[in-house]
Amino acid sequence: MGSEVRLQVGSCLRTLSSSRDSGEIVHALRTLKHYQEDGDLTRPHYTHALQVLVSAQSSHWFNRSRDDEEIKKLWDEIFLRGPPDQTLLLLLDTISSTGESAGLERCVSVLEKFLSAGHLQVLLWSRCEGGGSHSDTPQLRETIIGHLAALPSITSNHLHTNTPDAFLPQQYYPLLAASILDTLEKTCHALREGRDCSLGFVAQVLGKVCIQGYSSQIFELLAPRLSSLTRVDPLWQRVTQRLLENVPERCTECVITGLMRCLSGATAASKLMGNLVVTNKKAQFVLTHKLILQQYQHPTRLLKSVLGYLALDSERRILLKQVLRSVCQVWCNSSAVKHTSVEQQLYVSKALLLCVALLTDSEIQELRQEMLQCMLGGVQCRLDSNIVRIRRMGMVVGECLSYKLDTPGSQLKFQYEPDEESRELKSLMESPSVEDDEQHQPDTSSSLQPETKVQGSGGQSVTSEPGHGSDSELDSDDDLTPYDMSADQEKKKSASPRYVRDCLEALMSSDDADKVELSLQVLDSLLRKNATATQEVSVQFSKVLLHLEDRYNTPCFHTLRQNAMVALTVTDIKPVVDYWTTEFYSLNYSLRQRLDILEVLALSAQELSEPIRNKHNGVQPITAVTALEQCDDITHWRQIVEKRIQSKTRRISKGGTQPVKAVPNRYAPVAGFFFFPLLRNYDRPQVTFDLLGSDHLVLGRLLHTLGLLMHLAINAPVASQMGRALLDFVWTVRFHTDQMVRRGVMFAVCSVFLSMPGENLLTELGDDLMETRAWLADVAENDCDADCRSLAVQSLMLLDKNLKSQLQIPDMET
Amino acid sequence: MDNVRPPPQAQGDRSAPSLALWYIAGIAEDSSPPLRGFSCSLSHVLISSVHAGFRRLYRIKIIDVAVLMSRPPPDPLYILRGSGAAVNTLHFCCGGDGPPFLYSGSGKGAIHVWNLTTRRAEHVLESHAGNSVIWLHTFKDSSSSLISQGRDMRVCVWDLSEDRSTVTDSLLTGSVGFCQCSLLESRPGSALLAHPTEHMEEVSVVEMRSWTPVCTLKPDSKLGMLMCMKMWQADSGPVLCAGYEDGSLVLWDVSHRRPFSCLKVHPEPVMCLDIDVCRQKGISGSSEKILQSWTFDNQQNLQMRDSVRMTNPGVSQLRIRADGKILATAGWDNNIRVFGLKKLKPLAVLQHHTDMVNSVAFSDHQDPPQRLLAAGSKDQRISVWSIYSES
Repeated sequence: MGSEVRLQVGSCLRTLSSSRDSGEIVHALRTLKHYQEDGDLTRPHYTHALQVLVSAQSSHWFNRSRDDEEIKKLWDEIFLRGPPDQTLLLLLDTISSTGESAGLERCVSVLEKFLSAGHLQVLLWSRCEGGGSHSDTPQLRETIIGHLAALPSITSNHLHTNTPDAFLPQQYYPLLAASILDTLEKTCHALREGRDCSLGFVAQVLGKVCIQGYSSQIFELLAPRLSSLTRVDPLWQRVTQRLLENVPERCTECVITGLMRCLSGATAASKLMGNLVVTNKKAQFVLTHKLILQQYQHPTRLLKSVLGYLALDSERRILLKQVLRSVCQVWCNSSAVKHTSVEQQLYVSKALLLCVALLTDSEIQELRQEMLQCMLGGVQCRLDSNIVRIRRMGMVVGECLSYKLDTPGSQLKFQYEPDEESRELKSLMESPSVEDDEQHQPDTSSSLQPETKVQGSGGQSVTSEPGHGSDSELDSDDDLTPYDMSADQEKKKSASPRYVRDCLEALMSSDDADKVELSLQVLDSLLRKNATATQEVSVQFSKVLLHLEDRYNTPCFHTLRQNAMVALTVTDIKPVVDYWTTEFYSLNYSLRQRLDILEVLALSAQELSEPIRNKHNGVQPITAVTALEQCDDITHWRQIVEKRIQSKTRRISKGGTQPVKAVPNRYAPVAGFFFFPLLRNYDRPQVTFDLLGSDHLVLGRLLHTLGLLMHLAINAPVASQMGRALLDFVWTVRFHTDQMVRRGVMFAVCSVFLSMPGENLLTELGDDLMETRAWLADVAENDCDADCRSLAVQSLMLLDKNLKSQLQIPDMET
Repeated sequence: MDNVRPPPQAQGDRSAPSLALWYIAGIAEDSSPPLRGFSCSLSHVLISSVHAGFRRLYRIKIIDVAVLMSRPPPDPLYILRGSGAAVNTLHFCCGGDGPPFLYSGSGKGAIHVWNLTTRRAEHVLESHAGNSVIWLHTFKDSSSSLISQGRDMRVCVWDLSEDRSTVTDSLLTGSVGFCQCSLLESRPGSALLAHPTEHMEEVSVVEMRSWTPVCTLKPDSKLGMLMCMKMWQADSGPVLCAGYEDGSLVLWDVSHRRPFSCLKVHPEPVMCLDIDVCRQKGISGSSEKILQSWTFDNQQNLQMRDSVRMTNPGVSQLRIRADGKILATAGWDNNIRVFGLKKLKPLAVLQHHTDMVNSVAFSDHQDPPQRLLAAGSKDQRISVWSIYSES
């Protein structure tokens, strides 16, 4: 640039910065624009000129209306016609450095125009052109990339709520994606014409955006377009593969994850990425390890496309086998079963099944040994689990693997109730084809076809049905309305027993199926009605019921037996509860029987803890009688009339609820009989029963039951002793490896915090208070079981509430 | 019931009638069995209120009304007691000028003639030498003569006119089984009687007036004992349908002494059958839970139709009402069941008897509303019901 030009420009800028005359300003702007058009205004000058323009404008322009339009137009043009990188940087710097003013508004509107006029494309393309010969310093390049990727953050940091919509991520990133796409298209054109291009800059921008967490916004637009473009065009395939290769290593994970999330199907992934997974170590790590074994939040679709992508090429199939091996290892790792969340296990199971479904028979033969090991180990440690979901998962995966590995005769077969999850797992085995969603269009059309078929058949059935309908209408019996037939029951062969002892005999001999069934059916009411007769034989009866087996497949056997056991317990509380609690720790009972005991204890306690409402219930005949004897005749008569009126009156209005009145219940006096014997022998392992060892299922249930017994004893005098004992017990097992046990522990802790009187709780916890809090906080944060976490949060809240209410009293006193 | 309706002046005030309605609904909802009848009549009140526009006003869920609409089964119209032994068979005779009669045969050889107007036994006939009476029938043309079959292997014809009670005729069948005879009055004055014989699987058809044997029908293959039968007049001549011990049915052409067709309808013995001749449809019951219907075409080919499953097994007898709308079964489970004939739709389970029901009969009264259903049971009682007789 000649010195003359430099002088001219200098004088223009001086005018602009100092002059207040609009005519002069217009003239200077025109001169500048002229130089800009001629290309005489080089980069360093341009930046300087822009700076002057920005600062000048903010100070004293636009106060007179005459030449405003002209000035604005010229001003905008100077910005928009210059090199886009400089404009962008300067505008963003201005926006982030100036406070609220008219100048800021100008800058924002120019930036908006900059974006809408497609200057992003120009900027990106300028760095692509000519094989990366653009001579930027690395710092400048880095700055440009940073500003491009973070435009929404920079602007909204300073504009706050005044940020225009165009700068918001929802609009900006799709725009950026469109610009990238446009640049790639231009690249394709240039390559066809034999010109060199460099995708480094675009790749860096892409990486930067993704690492900042906007991959979904970018790829929502980019992925479908790219997959449709790469479907047939090899040049496009090469361009996108180059683009992905050029992504900086530290951004690879974000880019690939974002891409895989938005891609539909393995074929598209294969076309887009080529053999990137083989050439790029980082990509390999992400695709074969991270997405499969470390993360588990992705949808099954992503797993399908990743594994399908690996399976599509012979070079990549080696990786697929490798993935299968590592997935197998994880799946059969018993420590992983214990220490990872159910969701992650489900994810890994899905990956395993998908892998297996993709393998060919010969590959399966090759990997047979590993898979067999995996299946045996994994299924076994899952069947050991106390969580139904994990057990079922083990069974389903075991069945599926065995289906692939074994001959039809010797396949594994489990009994379980199929649910949504198991069906989904099974369906993964059924759709192994990589070509499942090869092309989107045929896919949708094929998915449409069955629908129309269904409609067709539906139409047929509709047309055929009226025929049927009219037929049936003609000779139906509909004119005759049936009577209520609910009384029509199966006829019993023998009469049901009427005495408690008859029932006992029937159950003891138990050689007549009908008799056993009838006895069980009437037992509940019989035991409750004949309290005296029951008390005579209660313990013997308990023994019989505890050992009773379902020999005749009696309907509802377990409920009937359990109801009878509960009836026994509540009718003759002390001896029967004594019996249950001693038998719980004695020799030679099955786990089922011990669990039954716990259930019965819990249910009985629940029933006993119901408030005593009606004294004429028949449950406590003796107290009812004394009540009548006590009162003299007249009041007695009045009471009866009153009661009759009460019982005959039907209150239709709801009315305000009466204040809660303390009512006695039958549990509080006997809670100790239920509770303490159960804590007696837990640390003395028997030959057949090792509570702290392998029988952790019972331990978990025991903890639950104790927690329930504790909770039901709320407000009872014995509650604080119970709480102390339970906390002691829980303290020893709080780090148990089994999730069920930990759930039980948390439940017990919750119920202690709920039921124990506040002041006792604090003295009881005393020194352990901080440690308990720390432990609970740790569980709430780190436990792999969601139930444990929520229970821990619950108990923390309860503890805090207790603390607050207790600590407030001294405050008020002082 | 009308006093439950809100008084007219309460119409303006919305709370009063709606409260009354909810009051009713509340009672009806938690009604225990003794309250059911009450709740039913309440439901009528409800429904009539709904029709009166209450539903629009007070938004009563129509579902609640539908739940209330399942009627409880009816109680018996009356009970006839005093037969002194298990009631084995029943026969209505409502033709003629006199009052309607019901004949019942007991397990001790007594035949009671019940006057249904006075509901008393007019005569008690000692018959069959104290042996159980298993079948009774009257002739269309002369209501004063009765035909009875007993376990003493005899069929007797009685003259009951003018308070007589004498046996005018008798036939030694030689059958020791329980199979009931079947009478076909083709034209006045001549009747055919099909009866079991001393050969267990054989049917013999005789002309009533002269006791001349017409034919004997014996299946070629082994079907076991003859269990039950019914004879009727078809265009081609008399046809006899017989059920056998192995569960088969055979349609016999009586005039040519050959079977038309044979069909195995039950795995167990056919205990009873009845046929609606106009619709060419029959029902058979067995000792199991299934009630099977079948049809036959003009070539008398049998074909299986619908079947219905009952709660308890065993049917002693079943009868189709003359109008072909319903049928009733006498169950071993002490219940009488009523089904629609067309689709065998279960309609009612009538519970009254405390022992096995042996026999059911529909009355042949000219006036349809007065057509009754009677059931005789081993508990020595006869229950009389009026069911689906309104239309």
